[in-house]
Amino acid sequence: MQLFKVLSIILFIMCPLQAFAQKAQTIDELAAMFDSSRCADCHDVIYAQWEKSQHARPMMGTPGIMNMTKMATPGATPFSPADPKQATLKTYPCFKCHLPQALTHAEDSVAVEITEAIIAQDTAKIAKLQITCIVCHNQKAIIHRLEEGKPDPAALYGVNAIDDHEDEVFEQVKKSAVMQRSLMCGQCHGPGPNLELEKPVQCANLYGSYLHAYIPAGGSQTCQECHMKPIDGLADHLIAPNWNDIPHTTKLLQEALSLDVQTLGFEWLEKAKTYVPKVIVNTKVASTAGHRIPDG
Amino acid sequence: MTAKTPEGKKIDTQTRHYHPQATNEKSSKQLYGAEVKVANIRDTSIQPYQTKTESIEFVLPKGVRSADITVDLSYYLASPDQRYEVHKITRRVSLDR
Repeated sequence: MQLFKVLSIILFIMCPLQAFAQKAQTIDELAAMFDSSRCADCHDVIYAQWEKSQHARPMMGTPGIMNMTKMATPGATPFSPADPKQATLKTYPCFKCHLPQALTHAEDSVAVEITEAIIAQDTAKIAKLQITCIVCHNQKAIIHRLEEGKPDPAALYGVNAIDDHEDEVFEQVKKSAVMQRSLMCGQCHGPGPNLELEKPVQCANLYGSYLHAYIPAGGSQTCQECHMKPIDGLADHLIAPNWNDIPHTTKLLQEALSLDVQTLGFEWLEKAKTYVPKVIVNTKVASTAGHRIPDG
Repeated sequence: MTAKTPEGKKIDTQTRHYHPQATNEKSSKQLYGAEVKVANIRDTSIQPYQTKTESIEFVLPKGVRSADITVDLSYYLASPDQRYEVHKITRRVSLDR
């Protein structure tokens, strides 16, 4: 029985294509199903960039915080289960963006395991759950599904089509209509409140700000043009900011925001014979970002 | 923004916050956290291609004729501990000519 279990796990890891056909029941199964580590064999530079990105730690949040801790804590939010064993995928509306593959490829048992791991602050286990190459280049690569259908489980999607892609599962790369468009990022870095939920939540407004503030102001760049600027001809998959990298993030903010300071010292005549010594400080903060700052 | 005397004694500090402010629309309390907020009710964030302009006055104490003004523009991620200092400009301003 033990041997069968081990063989099953090995087969599961070796054959992610078949694994797509059945839903994951554990964190390890879900992580294996979307494991992209073999991409590094050929795309080592891009993979190294991604490993430092926020996409590689979507459940870990900003520095020092394991996000969704409140959702897992009994009584902390309307979503929180009274007992971790009662957790379901619906406990975590955040999965829509922080772990979209769970909503399509996992059973509720994964939500139970995640809840238990978050309560135990088991960062090693939670860190296995990532927005991997497969999530963006397969699962989220088609938006116009009524016309184009669901993503082909035997293909990845990219900027260019490649008929012969050297991978045992994803044997070809198809051209994605949206991979270079802001709409691609807008799927998660969203338009505003998620009113389709029984208990609405509001996470990212970023794409909403892009659509309703940046575009009307005459902006024409895409998210990718600013956040994935090519390095040696390849799109930077760090997709900055990496909030853990304070110098790099500071530089990014300095490029987007300017500060002008003008000062004046004078004695204001408040009333006859009464002077008030004052310093006036005039500031102007201007932004060239494609969205409000701050946003997410 | 902080004003100090040339000897380093603080005269005053003034602060401006630029960010969206949201509630759950069931109460008037601002809420922080994606799982609880539902709607922005006010937005003082820095908008694309727009300029935030402030004019701030410091009244100098009696006998003080100059001040060191420090303007610090910082980005706070989730808490005051998670701070990115974007720009920091210090100027000495004198009333004497």
